[in-house]
This record gives sequence, C-alpha cells and structure tokens, in this order.
Amino acid sequence: MSSTVTRTRLAIVAAAAGIAILAGCSSPAPAGKASAASCEPAKGKVTLQYWNTVPGMDKVVDLWNKKNPNIQVETKNISNDQYGIIGNALKAGKAPDLAQVGYDQLPNLRTQDAFVDASGCSAATATKSKFVPWTWSQTSFGDTGVFALPQDTGPMALYVRSDIFKKYGVAIPKTWDEYAAAAKKLHKADSDLTITYFDPNNAEWFNGLLWQNNAEMYSYSDDKWHVTVESDQSKQVTEYWQKLISDKLVRTDLAHGSTQMYAAYQKNQIASYVGAAWGYSMFRDNLPRQAGKWTIVPMPTWGANGASGNWGGSTVAFMRGSKHLYESVKFNTWLNTDPEALALENELGGLYPAANAGLQLPALSKGVPYYNNEKIFDVFAASSKKVDTRFAWGPTQKTVNLALQDAMAKAAAGDGTLTDALAAAQTAALKSMKDQAIPAAAGK
Amino acid sequence: MTDIATRATRVVESSVGRHRRSNGGGPRAGTVAAFLTPFFLPFVLFYLVPVGYALWQSFRVVRRTGGQYGTSYTTFGGFEQYVEVLQNSEFWASIGRIGLFGIVQVPVMLFVALIMALLLDTPLLRLKSFFRITAFMPYAVPGVIAAIMWSYLYSPQLSPVVDLLKGIGLEPDFLGPGAVLWSAANVSTWLWTGYNMLIMYSALQSIPQELYEAARIDGASNWTIAWWIKVPIIAPSIVLTTVFSIIGTLQLYAEPAVLRQISSNISSTFTPNMLAYAVASGNNYQQAAAISVIIAVITFVLSFGFMRLTSKKAGL
Repeated sequence: MSSTVTRTRLAIVAAAAGIAILAGCSSPAPAGKASAASCEPAKGKVTLQYWNTVPGMDKVVDLWNKKNPNIQVETKNISNDQYGIIGNALKAGKAPDLAQVGYDQLPNLRTQDAFVDASGCSAATATKSKFVPWTWSQTSFGDTGVFALPQDTGPMALYVRSDIFKKYGVAIPKTWDEYAAAAKKLHKADSDLTITYFDPNNAEWFNGLLWQNNAEMYSYSDDKWHVTVESDQSKQVTEYWQKLISDKLVRTDLAHGSTQMYAAYQKNQIASYVGAAWGYSMFRDNLPRQAGKWTIVPMPTWGANGASGNWGGSTVAFMRGSKHLYESVKFNTWLNTDPEALALENELGGLYPAANAGLQLPALSKGVPYYNNEKIFDVFAASSKKVDTRFAWGPTQKTVNLALQDAMAKAAAGDGTLTDALAAAQTAALKSMKDQAIPAAAGK
Repeated sequence: MTDIATRATRVVESSVGRHRRSNGGGPRAGTVAAFLTPFFLPFVLFYLVPVGYALWQSFRVVRRTGGQYGTSYTTFGGFEQYVEVLQNSEFWASIGRIGLFGIVQVPVMLFVALIMALLLDTPLLRLKSFFRITAFMPYAVPGVIAAIMWSYLYSPQLSPVVDLLKGIGLEPDFLGPGAVLWSAANVSTWLWTGYNMLIMYSALQSIPQELYEAARIDGASNWTIAWWIKVPIIAPSIVLTTVFSIIGTLQLYAEPAVLRQISSNISSTFTPNMLAYAVASGNNYQQAAAISVIIAVITFVLSFGFMRLTSKKAGL
C-alpha cells in the first residue's frame, strides 16, 4: 500500500532530520586556553547586550545611552531563570557582552568557559581600588584576571525586635555565646517566642555564617581544588546551630521570605533576624505595622574574631564571545562605580553597592524612618569591611548547596546533625567535581 | 472490543480501497502526507529528536583538558552514567518514595473515582450534572496552582484547617517528615479523581440499558448490578486509568516541588524527576539524561506489564 510507502518515507525524512540535528550537537567546541583578550576600541557606533535581574536597570541604562551615543546598551531582564538562560545562551554561542552573575556562581560559570579575561584592558585593572576588597578578590579569582566587576553585596547584620528584648529584660547580644543565652531567656519567658528561625533549605544564608567564621570551603593550588567544606571552623558553626535546634530554641519550619515566615514575625513569635543589607526593605515592605520596633546591630561575633559575613550580591561578568571588550569595560565601570548610576540602582533596584564610593551615597547616609531613623547603612558599611577576603566559592557550588540543604533538612527533622550535613556537602563537592572532570582533593 | 476494532479497520480499509480505485495512487499519497505533516513534524522535532538526544547524551561523559578552567568536552562513556545513577542511594530512595506513593495513592484515587462514577450512574441520584461538573472541576486547575492552594491549607501559620483541628485538641503537622508525602498524595488525588471518574462514567454510559432490564428481571439488586455487571464491563477503562496513574506517579514533580517551598522535609531529590532536575541544574546533563532514560524504561515496563497482566481479565 502506498500509505506504507509514505509512512516509511516520512520516517526516513524524520530520522535524517534527527541525525542532522544530533550531528550538529555532537561536535564539542574546543576553545583556546583562557588568557587576557585584546582590548581595541571599535570604530564607529557599538551596541552592547547586558542581561540582568535588577528591577529598574533599564532606566539606569537609559541614562548611560543618553550620555554615550556611540556605545549603546540594550538590557534584558532574565530574572525568571537567570542561570538557565545564561547557560543556554552560552551553549548556543549567543551569550551577551555582559551578564549579571552571583559571586557564588562565578567559578561554576568559569568552568563552563563563560567569561573573557578583561585584564588586557588597563581601564579594567585600574578599577581594583574602587571596590570593597573581598569582592575584587572573587571577581578576579585572586588577582589572576578580571572576569567581572563587582556590583552589589549583602554584608550581614543582626535585625533585632528591640521592643521584645526590652520587654523581657534581655540585652542585645554582641557574640554568638550571648545570642544563645538570649535565645534561652526569650524562649523561657514566652514559649511561643524563639530568637530566630533556622531555614535548612537556605544554603546561601548558611554559607554566609560559615564565611563569617573564616571557614574557607575551597582553595586552589597545584593544579587542583582543595575541598575543605568540612573543617574545624565550619564544624564550630554547625555545632552551635545544632545545639539551638536540639534545645528547640530556634524553629526550623519557616522558609526564608515565605508568607509563613512573615506571618510568624507578624505574630511576634520571632525576636530577631540574621540577615543581609538588602533585607532592610523586606521588613519595611512586608511588616509595615512593626515600624519603629526594629533596630539593626552588628552580627554577633565569634569571640575575639570580629569578622562579619556576607550573603548574596552580584557581579557583572565579561562574557565570552563579546566583540567589544573595550566598550564593555567602559560601560561596566560606569555602571558599578559612578555615583549617579549607583544612586539610581540603589533607589530602583535596592542594590547595596560593592564600590567604596557607593557606601557614601547620600541615600545610604540618611536615617531610615522604618528603623527609628537610625543610620542602618553605617552598620552594613562597617560589616562590609570586616568580610574575610580569602573566602572562595567552588566550581560546583549549586550541587553542593543542594546537598547541604537536603542534609540540613534531615538534621532539622531529627535525622542526623548539621555536622553530618557538612560531611554530605563535602562528599557532594568531590563527587560533582569528579563528574565535571575538575581535578579536586579533600583537605588543604 | 476486538470485534469492534476489527470491524472498524475493515470499514477503513474498504473505503481506502474504493478511494484508491477512483483516484489512483499519486495524488492520494500527497494528500496523506499533507494531512500528516502537521502532526509528524512537531512530533519528530519536539518528541523523537529530544528523546534521541537524551539517549545519546546519557552515554556521554565530561572530560577536561588543561586543568580546572581548561576546556571541557564530552566523549563516549558507555554505561558510566547509568552505573552512577544505579549506585546512587538518593535515586533508589526517590524510587522507593514514589513506589510507596503509587501503591497507596493510585488504588485509593481509582476506588473513589469508581464509587463516584457508579453513584453518578444510578438512577437514584439527583442533580447529576452538578455533581459531575463539581467532581471534575479540580482537573481544570493547573497542578502548580492546586499545590499552592493546598500548601496554604497545610501551613500551620496560615491554615484555617490547622486552626480548626487545634481547636479540637489535635496537633496536625501536614508538612512533617512522615506526613508530607501523603500531603502531596492528597493534592494529586484531589486533582485527578474527577478526571478518572469521568473516564469511567463515560464507559458506564455506553452500557446498553437492556442488560440492566434483563438483570432486574432475574432479580438483581442495584448493588449486584453495579458489582457484577457494570464494573466488569468498564474494566478496560479502569485498566486505562490505572496505566495513566502509574505514568503520572512516576513523573511526579509539580506537587512536591511546590510544597518544597514551604517544607524542608521535601528534599531536592524527593522524586526521580526532581533528582533529574537537581542533577541537571549542576550542569551534569549527561547524568540527568541517564536518569530520564531509566525513568522512561521503568514507566514502560510497569505500564505494559500491568496491561499484560490484566489484559485477559479485562478483555482488552
């Protein structure tokens, strides 16, 4: 029957199409070893692509475009799937000139050959002194190049419901020991009240706590990664929180930023929040009725070590395939160091700048009405300067974060401890690096 | 069933034959192609090609030259990814979890659907179309929305249900480590019972009334008719809904993924599909592909195994 013939023919066409597509995908794209790219200005007008997730960034770019007719920038908001979109674009060879990348994702993307080294542009290397030291250390991978410029940071501090502390006669804690003692007092005074909550599904936050205790998780030497997720410093942190969880002094049933979390704060069930600079607007916008009840103080410290932690923040990375590195450096530098740009980003996008100049913005020197007109940004600026500069992220950070979260959740449910979770994360780090053929070993 | 199918085939063949005589072969083949292309082209592009690509990917491994930030490439790795998946305890834990889920949730859901279909089919029930629509309504709600809705009912901070239960002295924890799997199962059951009911109900509608009359003359009660006449006749639909449910269970993703937002007792590797997603998000696309292929094989074996097992009894 001819229908059979047609069907066969169709199948052949289909198979051929399939093979053609498969063949197209099958050739690996060998690229040259990463080294500083050349930095020649273009002749004539240039258009740059810049992908980001910052609200209002298009308005910041409009400002640039008005002043720079020869270097026009087009923005695209990729907040619905930031790394998915960047990853797919890289695979398709259609990456933008500049893209927003979180600090913790820099090594991961670099192992995918995502970046171009802009250290061939003297203008790029010259920006080093303009940024808070730890941010430069991460974007330059320990001064081995310039792969991104820092944009914003999340220096950590302690948000305190001063009215609750006052009501029960508890002093605001300065060290983690005092914090644990305060936790006990508050819970004893009111059994519905806990000092804070521990979200086991928030590795990014927990990494900030590890960072504060100088718990370096990765280092690189002798052509391989040294994985020290499980270390004495990190164990000190996990044991501390495990004790609070075991003694039921912190609750573990709230996810960060969830409606449930705000509901618990609204019901006065939680007395403090270990958070980052960008969190100030979360409380202001979601808990308007608690205006005037909050104060922000430095993060509790580990004894004599006065270090602070950082949670979140992003960079603007120089992406591989960009044909206009010179212009990209120019725009990127303006975007992240110019006071006018920084002020607008802070106003529209709530960014807390990584540039030293940004810390002196008028908007960041004023008292904030929600927080009793206190100059809360002074606390964050001081915190920012106390963040350990040696801390580095791993090349498979996402996988490690997931493993850490899954094991921390088990611990919160009574199956194992947070210290076991460190071991699980250590194992996941080594295994995922092996899967990606990245040379790695356990220990220093 | 078989008879009807054979007859239908014969009718189609004879009409095709007639058509061929009147028109000849050439233009007809073109017509067939024209009608089939809109189906086959997307089918090949968006189904066969991705499946083939996943299969091909699952046999690749990542290698790297020039140290940590050197160039990575993929090469043929045989069954390396499959071995890693099969040795991964998280994978087996996720399979065990949905196995337990399926063994409990699928029979409960189909039993409820069957009872509802039989009730709708009795002459005793009034407001039939109202009940039919109401029972089917949840199916119109997208799975993610349903899960978000239920997550508010489960959440101790926000749920009126939890408050009510607390009022009578209970301390429910719908999101606890032991309960959360069943909370997810409840969402699936709520979503899919009406859909399965409708398939069974439409099968019931096609049963000729004469059978019931004959049974009544023989003295059969409503209950006897339901159990000994209706259920055996609609057995093929029950088998069909079971197969759909098995496939659905193995692909479980939306409900637990949404509940994960509010409960840390759902891990990133809770179901096989979530595991595949977690692995892919760590750039290990090859291993994610291997997981997908294994899930597909298990689905295939279970669905066809179940159909074979029941085909004689169900008269398929």
